[in-house]
Amino acid sequence: MTTTSSGTSVPVGPPPPFDPEVAAALAAMGGFPPITPDLIPVLRQGLPGQEPPSDADLARGGAFSVAERSVPGAAGDPDVRLLVCRPTGTTTPVGAVYWIHGGGMVLGDHRSGVLEALDWAQELQLVVVSVEYRLAPETPHPGPVEDCYAGLVWTAEHAAELGVDPARLVVAGASAGGGLSAGVALMARDRGGPALAGQLLIYPMLDDRNDSPSAVQMGDTGTWGRTANDTGWTALLGEARGGPDVSPYAAPARAEDLSGLPPAFVDVASAENFREEDVAYATRLWQAGGRAELHVWPGGFHGFDTFAPETVIAKEARAARLRWLRRLLAD
Amino acid sequence: MRLAALDPEAGAALRVVSYFDELAAGHAGLQAVVRGAAVLTGGAAGLTDDRRHLSVRVAADGASSPGAPDPGWLSTPVDEGAVLWLERTGPARMVDAVVLERAAALARTVLERTRPLPGAGAAGGRQDDALLEVVGDPAADVVARRAAAHALGLAPTAPARAVVFAGGELRVLPAHEAVDPGGRRVGVGPAGPVEDLPASLAAARRALRLTAEDTPGDPGPRVVHAEQAQALLLLAGTVTPASPPVADVVALERAAAAAPWMLGTLHAVVSAPTRRSAATDLAVHHSTLAERLATAQRLLGWDLHEPSGQQRLHLALVLRRLHRNPA
Repeated sequence: MTTTSSGTSVPVGPPPPFDPEVAAALAAMGGFPPITPDLIPVLRQGLPGQEPPSDADLARGGAFSVAERSVPGAAGDPDVRLLVCRPTGTTTPVGAVYWIHGGGMVLGDHRSGVLEALDWAQELQLVVVSVEYRLAPETPHPGPVEDCYAGLVWTAEHAAELGVDPARLVVAGASAGGGLSAGVALMARDRGGPALAGQLLIYPMLDDRNDSPSAVQMGDTGTWGRTANDTGWTALLGEARGGPDVSPYAAPARAEDLSGLPPAFVDVASAENFREEDVAYATRLWQAGGRAELHVWPGGFHGFDTFAPETVIAKEARAARLRWLRRLLAD
Repeated sequence: MRLAALDPEAGAALRVVSYFDELAAGHAGLQAVVRGAAVLTGGAAGLTDDRRHLSVRVAADGASSPGAPDPGWLSTPVDEGAVLWLERTGPARMVDAVVLERAAALARTVLERTRPLPGAGAAGGRQDDALLEVVGDPAADVVARRAAAHALGLAPTAPARAVVFAGGELRVLPAHEAVDPGGRRVGVGPAGPVEDLPASLAAARRALRLTAEDTPGDPGPRVVHAEQAQALLLLAGTVTPASPPVADVVALERAAAAAPWMLGTLHAVVSAPTRRSAATDLAVHHSTLAERLATAQRLLGWDLHEPSGQQRLHLALVLRRLHRNPA
């Protein structure tokens, strides 16, 4: 039994057990080292078997047209690259997913994880726009989230050109991308747009303090442990991490007001660092009078559905996201 | 997981072993085992079991769908009537061979645990003596006892009990499973964690000494549950055939020698709720029973109409069994 460092003295037991299949997959992958800053360049070279999808992968046999766009960044910032995948079989405006990739704020590109968004798009006839934001530590806050927001603004303003119904624009992302999605939803609220139909937050990285009971409890088990999380947040925020002056656009858990936000989907695994902050975020959305759907998948580790997509809980987690989108975007 | 693509062969084989070890540790089900075989080899896999009338097939993406094996595919027997297959033809890569071997071994364990066949394992015939010896030995290492319990078909976290039959045969069973005496006297130990099976066994052995053949010369229950006879188990721990009989037992034996109906009648009187139902159990008229009891009282030397006299008789009958049944 240990208690959290935040002084709240929540007693925690050992980590909840992993789901057997998820544990087997983790063991077969050989486990993950605690990610320290020196590993960032190594990890950026990519993991074997996790190569980014090619244009042909994205086109899915002609189901999508694939284009790269360069659009204006925030004032004084460089342009932002967007990957735009449009369903070829549509003539009327369709909904859109604005995808923000994960990677702990320090890894990945606009093709990371986009295949799941394409699965939704193929099922529900959606446009996928995926943003290539600049990464920390080279680009600290607010660069990454401003890039994401600038791309979102451009997408909304060019909805007609993209064949997108601007009333059905959803921001979505996993892990750091989930945190950035929540961040741009806060920015869109505070800056008067773009209007969002929903925010799909997949095990989002929301709280730079990294000291919740689940953070303490899980330690460096699983994939994205407490050390890795410290690495990511410190890259983004530097000395300010965990201090009193962190922007809610960087760490949405810091937002004091969660009212006036679009409907949210939040999922997380029970055996991961982000469990408490993600459950708390959904709870606070409800407390603020908002709409949210929360799923906690038992015995998953962070990113279980990407590392072990064949497992039962991964399939159920992915199906739940699609079902939510289908309900949200139903005509 | 894309393991086959990810790793050179030897590394992949090691990871296969880790994968199935983790599934075993997590008590994963049959679907998970077959899915593991499919995912790790990058192709569909399946298992059919004719004796259990079951069939599982999983595609490489983890989705289940029906299907039957082709004789040309790689396969391995799981146990009698069951086969595990990979939907690919030979020659087997190292990863195929390791997956077949590991998945079949785990599938066998899962099948024995979750779908024991009548007449096999815990449900029927004799269990392995060496495993039983370990599982019931309080001096054996707890890890060894757990492993033995597992090998005997017991789930690690489900309660289990020991059962001892007249003649010495021992069996361990999941707590929920009914005990089939098979015509023999049985002592049934209390249910508890598999780690506590030595205590369950000791109690079952004492409970067996409280049983009787249910014959006129040895009336009494053929099955005794230790949980329902706890105070008498204490008595069983003290009194053996070698103990000198107390005077009440001597009196009981003297009475028993006087009439063939004596022991059966006395047992009926202490076990039936009323005299009338005792007479019904014995298939005699209640006036006949009253006459028999008058004779018995005279031979025993104490009053059988008082509750204390009834209790004294009951204990004398129990003690008589403890003198007859070896410790």
